[in-house]
Amino acid sequence: MNAIEAHNLSKAFGTRKALDGVSFELPEGAFLSIFGPNGAGKTTLLRVLSTLARPTAGSASICGIDLKESPNEVRGLIGMISHASMLYPDLTAEENLVLYAELYGVADPQARARELLEAVGLSHRRIDQVRTFSRGMTQRVSIARALVHDPRVMFLDEPYSGLDPHAVDIFDDLIASVRGDRTFVMVSHDLAKGFALCTHALVLARGRVVTFAKKEDLDFEDFAQLYRDTVGMGVS
Amino acid sequence: MGRPSAFAQYKTLLAKDLRQEFRTREMLTSMGIYALLVIIVYGAALALTARGIDIANMGGGLLWVLIVFTSLLGLGRSFAHEKEQACMDGIMLVPLDRSVIFLAKATANILFMLAVEVITVPLFYFFFMSGQPVAATFFWVVAPLLVGTIGMAGIGTMLSTITMNTRSRDVMLAILFIPLIYPLLYACVTATTAAIAGTEFWTDFFVMPLVLACGYDVVMLLVCWVLYDFVVSA
Repeated sequence: MNAIEAHNLSKAFGTRKALDGVSFELPEGAFLSIFGPNGAGKTTLLRVLSTLARPTAGSASICGIDLKESPNEVRGLIGMISHASMLYPDLTAEENLVLYAELYGVADPQARARELLEAVGLSHRRIDQVRTFSRGMTQRVSIARALVHDPRVMFLDEPYSGLDPHAVDIFDDLIASVRGDRTFVMVSHDLAKGFALCTHALVLARGRVVTFAKKEDLDFEDFAQLYRDTVGMGVS
Repeated sequence: MGRPSAFAQYKTLLAKDLRQEFRTREMLTSMGIYALLVIIVYGAALALTARGIDIANMGGGLLWVLIVFTSLLGLGRSFAHEKEQACMDGIMLVPLDRSVIFLAKATANILFMLAVEVITVPLFYFFFMSGQPVAATFFWVVAPLLVGTIGMAGIGTMLSTITMNTRSRDVMLAILFIPLIYPLLYACVTATTAAIAGTEFWTDFFVMPLVLACGYDVVMLLVCWVLYDFVVSA
């Protein structure tokens, strides 16, 4: 079964089309990196696939479940990490994770929160408010938050934004350790890193798919040239 | 992992809002101080002319001016935590009915507004009405205060969501809020004034406005509850 299927997805804000007939199919366990210039529609695509925004036209499904017909079922299958942590700064790391675990209906929220904080190496800071954390530490708690309900598909929206190189290494190690057979979709401006991590690559420009291919079918230099040409297209 | 009941999710979200507020005291402090300042301004404005004013007949209006503007301040802040770090997106990613988010946030706003009223209404009485004989009906002011607070918190929560991402959200909130609560405000001012003044036919000016205010609450809260999914998704 495909983890994600998108058919002619479109999203318009007024007269401006942020997505224009996006179609692709991603098998389970794949890692899709989405590239494109600013304003290409990358984040909009992620927001539509994660049910945060409704498509204007077209359809999409996650693990065979239609986004429009059963959004709550889809939400139970997905997790999201973005450059914003989605954590309440005045709550402690543990309180944040327990909050999300309770909302998702995890059996023992307290135990799950502690297990995840252990996994991201922050159990010693579990009763500290997130406001007191560094950007890298906050992002680690954000990973724990996204994993609290053990999702099958993970969306990463420019997760490296604002991280120093050391924090990027820690983040990469954590993502590798939780990868398993999960499907990942990542939006990134870092072409080399995104290409290194992915099994599939997608380039968006002006809301349209320029390229969607398996990594094994792509040569990095050619791909990089294609990307540079795409960025040169700019946005409408 | 079974999906929790809507009530369990409501309790979790409400507990989160209360815990945050008791930890930061942002809304309660700002609303409380603002209400106190309005009382001080009333004091200055009425000091020279107080002898010529029948404060009992003005009390309802003055009290509701205080409540409306204090509420506006609080409601404008009610989604500040959700906006910071895109927490609203985090909640929206959870499989839950959007109306649960509305109910939890509206309940939290009702509780915060009532907490401020519990302090400011006795202060208002102490500063402006303590020198006058108390009408036997005075304590009925609790009814319009409660009904008005529930309605304003519900409508304000909805409008606060709509204006959350607008550029001048505080102004937008006020522009949308005041006209929408006007019927409720009018009814509550009438009922409150009737209870404070306690004149011979006070029930005529108390019961009907209160019934209308209750009806307005029910209709508006139902509309907000039904439309909330559309509003947060749009």
